[in-house]
Amino acid sequence: MLELRNLTAAYGQDQVLSGIDLALKAGDAVALIGESGTGKTTLGHAIMGLCEGVVQGSILFRGEDLLSLDKETMRKIRWNKIGLVFQNVNNVLNPVYRVIDQVIEPMVEHGLKSRSEAFLRAEKILEEVGLAKNRFSLYPHQLSGGEQERVLLAMALANDPELLILDEPLAGLDDTAKIHMIHFLLKLNQMRNITLLVLTHDIATAVRLSDRLGSLYGGRILELGPSESVALRPRHPYTRALIRSYPNITTSKDLQGIKGRLTRPVGGCPFHPRCTQAIDICSTQVPRLKDYDGRMVACHRGGVIPLMKAVELTKEFNGYKAVDSVTLTIHGGETLALVGPSGSGKTTLARMLMRFLQPTSGRIYFEDQEVNEDGRFSNRVQMIFQNPGESLSHRLTVMDLVSEPLEVAGKMSKDICHQKALALIEEVQLPQDKALIEKYPHHLSGGELQRVAIARSLALNPDLLIADEPTSALDPSIQAKVLKLLLHIQENRGLSILFITHDIAVARKISDRIAVMHEGKIVEEGPVSQIITAPIHPCTKALVASAPSLQKVETNGTGTADALAVGARQGAKSALDPCS
Amino acid sequence: MHISLRGEFCKNRFGQVGLVILTGITVLALLAPVIAPADPHRQTRRSFEPPSALYILGTNHVGQDNWSRLVHGARTSLLVGFLVACAATLMSVLLGVSCALKGGLYDSILMRFVDALIIIPAIIILLLIFAYLKPNIYLIAMSIALFSWAGGARILRAQTLSLKERAHIWAARSFGGNNWYVMRRHIVPDLSPIIAVEFIHAFRRGVFVEAGLAFLGIGDVTTVSWGVIMRNAAEYSYMNAWSWWLLPAGLALSITIISFTFIAHTLEPIMEPRLREEASA
Repeated sequence: MLELRNLTAAYGQDQVLSGIDLALKAGDAVALIGESGTGKTTLGHAIMGLCEGVVQGSILFRGEDLLSLDKETMRKIRWNKIGLVFQNVNNVLNPVYRVIDQVIEPMVEHGLKSRSEAFLRAEKILEEVGLAKNRFSLYPHQLSGGEQERVLLAMALANDPELLILDEPLAGLDDTAKIHMIHFLLKLNQMRNITLLVLTHDIATAVRLSDRLGSLYGGRILELGPSESVALRPRHPYTRALIRSYPNITTSKDLQGIKGRLTRPVGGCPFHPRCTQAIDICSTQVPRLKDYDGRMVACHRGGVIPLMKAVELTKEFNGYKAVDSVTLTIHGGETLALVGPSGSGKTTLARMLMRFLQPTSGRIYFEDQEVNEDGRFSNRVQMIFQNPGESLSHRLTVMDLVSEPLEVAGKMSKDICHQKALALIEEVQLPQDKALIEKYPHHLSGGELQRVAIARSLALNPDLLIADEPTSALDPSIQAKVLKLLLHIQENRGLSILFITHDIAVARKISDRIAVMHEGKIVEEGPVSQIITAPIHPCTKALVASAPSLQKVETNGTGTADALAVGARQGAKSALDPCS
Repeated sequence: MHISLRGEFCKNRFGQVGLVILTGITVLALLAPVIAPADPHRQTRRSFEPPSALYILGTNHVGQDNWSRLVHGARTSLLVGFLVACAATLMSVLLGVSCALKGGLYDSILMRFVDALIIIPAIIILLLIFAYLKPNIYLIAMSIALFSWAGGARILRAQTLSLKERAHIWAARSFGGNNWYVMRRHIVPDLSPIIAVEFIHAFRRGVFVEAGLAFLGIGDVTTVSWGVIMRNAAEYSYMNAWSWWLLPAGLALSITIISFTFIAHTLEPIMEPRLREEASA
């Protein structure tokens, strides 16, 4: 019904839309999400023929190219066939007309209805969009932002359009009002077969309103796919970063921003200056939207890359399988938490991934290349150990410790080495003063030590950090700071973290995905929200039920927790091994 | 391994005594040309003189001054001991640590060799060697060292085996540090107290074995050494010159060995913390 082909729009030198390709069938509901300034509003305006810039390409509406139409024809299509709900900024409503008159206006203007008919219809529509009857005759400035938003929607709906473009439609509404509007809009979509194009930064609204969800950045669509799937398992680094920075009730990881500022780069992928996995080609060539098993992704690397992959990894100690054919993928820029009771083989797995231990069988891939014995990637995967007191040599000063990796890597003058080490010390939020860098580990507190260890692990610019219980030796307040630091570093550097912990509550706060390990096997794996709210494997259930909670265990109501608590009181085996 | 060597000596009287004796002997050896009244090689016609103001410890069978020979003999003993200690410790460290780090066939073969070396009686082999070679003190020192590193290597290997599983060693490896780097930067400094003990043991062994060989007639007979003094004196045991000829050399050797033993005893707890008195009390 609506098809955009290589649509571009520019205001003078400023290219706002560059090569948008999008096709909507009648009855579709598509949402495009993106930050402010990514071209959402311009796209809406361009389709409506309201864009003040230079618009090129083609906008096919029912086979007709809207860009080739003369003003008069376009005027007929606008509002009658295509409705636009303006983003309610700068008071789009005319302040000197009563709101009902403004809803009547498009109907009368287009000569569709007589004034009295239009009045009745306007009342009906305003009622439908949820505006209280006593507000109909008020002036816009007498209404709240949310109410104005409803009036704008009513105006767009007045002429019964086939396509409704919603630009930040529910921005001024509170959450309960939003739900009401979403139901209303979905009803329009389903009952009256009105096609919806939603342009918003509100991801939750986008997911609820649409069947297909896309992300828009720098005037390009970077990812497009089924709404829920895109939101829960984003494939493009931008979509993922956007979702990570969006507060919602589903994900529990701490909010992370996107590094850098929104810019419009001259060449290459628009997102490459801020992307965490950009390679050379990203800055020179524009990636096309390609289909990856039903998901359209515009990325030279095919979306978020699988950074490290373990396939059927097994480690036997005297016939006992500490790790039993584990298959695990760590994606670029994500935190994967490996959770399990002690003795489940987590550390053994980590050591195999670090190449400290030779697996009995199985393979490890790093960036799709098999890792062989020489440990070629050694600098790109670094480890943070459980006890910083042990992992830092007591004979070296903080400065020596942090510069040790640089020294091993070699080819660096002492001065540069020193400068780099200082930068690292600053990155982990430790003071750079002489007093600290000349201290020995036993002069430092546990939290400071772990920061030093983190600084050291970052020295070689790794792509993956394997953190083995990095905070279990720290007290809660310091743990919180160290975890925040790790997330902050991840945001800035875009590195992946394999976070090994027995504490599912910690995992919940810092990871994107959780893999639960039990007796050497990965028994469950998925997005954090799914693992926490709907665990399937008994071991996961037990871990969730026994996780630290501020409420009394009995009020948990899962049953497992009660059983565990009872078991603990009786000293039963189940208390010792929550998974048995 | 937070062990301060000075701390150990402060606590231990044996250690202090050992240090004092060793320092005394070392000073004696260093100042030998000053202290000794006569050239230790110069022969006179006045043989078998009893102690007098001129000859503090009398003279020997060819009229050499016993006191001068004793003082110069300390130089030989300490020099050989020092060379043995250096060479043997170096070998212990290189071979012991590399065995632990490399493992595999290299480790197995070398350790069996160490086993063999430990049971072979060194003196007999040395006697055989020097039956064919013309010995000088450097050759003797190196030969003794060759039979003195095995025990130390085994101890250092065992310590390295446990040390290399420590997190900071793993960390160093994760930066790309190879065996040589890990050994140089981490393991040897971490093992330094144990290496010090090994050094003392090798030193003592060097002094002792050198004297023994000299006594058995191995080595340059013209060298001034406690072993040579005792050998000469023993040949004239029917004379009553032994009390100022044989005895001083024997005593000097004994107290030197004892001083090393005391020092080693003081450092022993470093290797075996269970020997600490606080722990056993």
